[in-house]
Amino acid sequence: MALRSNFSVLFASFRMRLMTITRYPGQLVMDIVIPIVFAYMPILLGRASGSNPAATFAANTGTSNYIGYMLIGASVFTLVNFAFWHVAYWLRWEQEAGTLEALYLVPTHRIWVVAGTALYSCLRGVFSALAAYLLGSLILDVNPFQGEVLLAFVFVLVGLIPLYSLTLLFGAVILKVKEANALVNLMQWGVSFFMGIFFPIAIFPPLLKAIALLFPPTWMTNGVRSALLGVGFFFNRWYLDLAVLWLFMLITPFLGYWVFSRTETSVRRHEGVGQF
Amino acid sequence: MTDLENSKPSPKYSRIAAEWSAFWAMARKELIIMMRYPVNFIASFGQTFLIVAIFTLGGSMFFRISSAAGSQTGTSSGNPSGVVVYGFILFMFMGDTLWTIGYNVRNEQVQGTLEQLYLSPASKFASLVARVTNTLLWTGLLSVTAAALMTLMIGKLPVYNPWLGLYLLVMALSGTFGFGFIFAALTLRIKETAQTVANLLQFGLLVLCANFFPFSALPPFILFFSRLIPLAYAVDAFRSTMMGYPAGFPELAPFPVEFIITTLFGLLMPPLGYYLYRRAENYARKHGSLATY
Repeated sequence: MALRSNFSVLFASFRMRLMTITRYPGQLVMDIVIPIVFAYMPILLGRASGSNPAATFAANTGTSNYIGYMLIGASVFTLVNFAFWHVAYWLRWEQEAGTLEALYLVPTHRIWVVAGTALYSCLRGVFSALAAYLLGSLILDVNPFQGEVLLAFVFVLVGLIPLYSLTLLFGAVILKVKEANALVNLMQWGVSFFMGIFFPIAIFPPLLKAIALLFPPTWMTNGVRSALLGVGFFFNRWYLDLAVLWLFMLITPFLGYWVFSRTETSVRRHEGVGQF
Repeated sequence: MTDLENSKPSPKYSRIAAEWSAFWAMARKELIIMMRYPVNFIASFGQTFLIVAIFTLGGSMFFRISSAAGSQTGTSSGNPSGVVVYGFILFMFMGDTLWTIGYNVRNEQVQGTLEQLYLSPASKFASLVARVTNTLLWTGLLSVTAAALMTLMIGKLPVYNPWLGLYLLVMALSGTFGFGFIFAALTLRIKETAQTVANLLQFGLLVLCANFFPFSALPPFILFFSRLIPLAYAVDAFRSTMMGYPAGFPELAPFPVEFIITTLFGLLMPPLGYYLYRRAENYARKHGSLATY
């Protein structure tokens, strides 16, 4: 099929998802509220735990702005969460909606439909994360625009591609194991743990730290925190950390697509993708 | 004929037997479904550990210098292990009793089996309660292991007055059971939106009932709303009792007052909740919306 037709499928899938979510405005509000509440838990625990929480926090993380630190972690968690639930769960979503068989019968490759879903997910994720960060900062009385705001945004944008590619890898696991709900739940928390949602990964033992560094969201979170709060880049220079994310960006889409395609072919040959 | 009449069980006995039979059948069905998804089983365990680790490590950034792990700074509330662990245990159980009944009603709607269930003469009450039984057992196991992990990560866990603590836990759960029925009633009325409402309430209660932090950390404005929720008193009474009433605890009211509120909450909520559920159910049956979702 021509590239133009494929893009038309991509945008149709994007529009369909967007139209569906506009029917549930309460869900959109929750997308913004949840990260704020998430960040609020450790913040309140910290406030109750000693005479000078900011000083202890600074000694552990490199910044005394613990509100900003937690809000950034919770906002990036939203991005990770959306990526996993929308893309890794995509096949199950189509199964539940009863549209999977139709998708396999049309002449367009499924990758364009997933790409439309991913585009929708990115847009919704970035909007929710940004809104949660800004609103949370406003409610908790911190300045959201300190530091290098543009650089932070670059880290988010560059990090999104490897993040979504990672979900393709994980989508392959779901295709094989079937139990999508449980696996997506587990994985979103697993990635959040490794990326250091509320703490620096420096506290991990060496092996755990090495595993954490293999996850693009770890670089994305630290990049944003370093740009806004000055906690320190992994390689001390922003462009070196960004270069690592670029490297992820070049490798992971191909790896993700390759693994997903192979798994899908294998599953279709044996039990079939419709079984869940 | 006389022999047959003599061999019949008394109406009271047969009613109890029928209730038990319906409860057992439904509990067994739920257990069979749980066993068919072993990955789900293992993943829920792993997920709990990860959530615990994330929040405790996040909280520990405020009271522990990581380069000297083990040395803790702060005051009586500086070591938050009691507050966090007991709050977490209550949160886990509350999650089961509050939402499981409603979610299951919705699942039956989605699977298309809710109408059939209501056409059968089996006890509706036993059927609803049975859905939570397996989850409660599973959560008990999860709570114990998660509490052990949290204790390892954030410090020694104080354990005082376990029997009184158990009584308060049972009363709190009984009260949330009542809430669970109300949520199930709401699910029948508002259908898909119930999911969003549940999410909102879950996070709202997490803050208002201060499961993961002391009430003293809440701003006065939010604390005002906490004082309006009986469950908040149950959380406070339970963890204060288990921690041996350290200075500043209980935080919301004197213990006798919290004890009375928790007991009344545990005794009154289930009948009230079930009454509201039956009303919603009758409404749905009259309007033919039982299977609509």
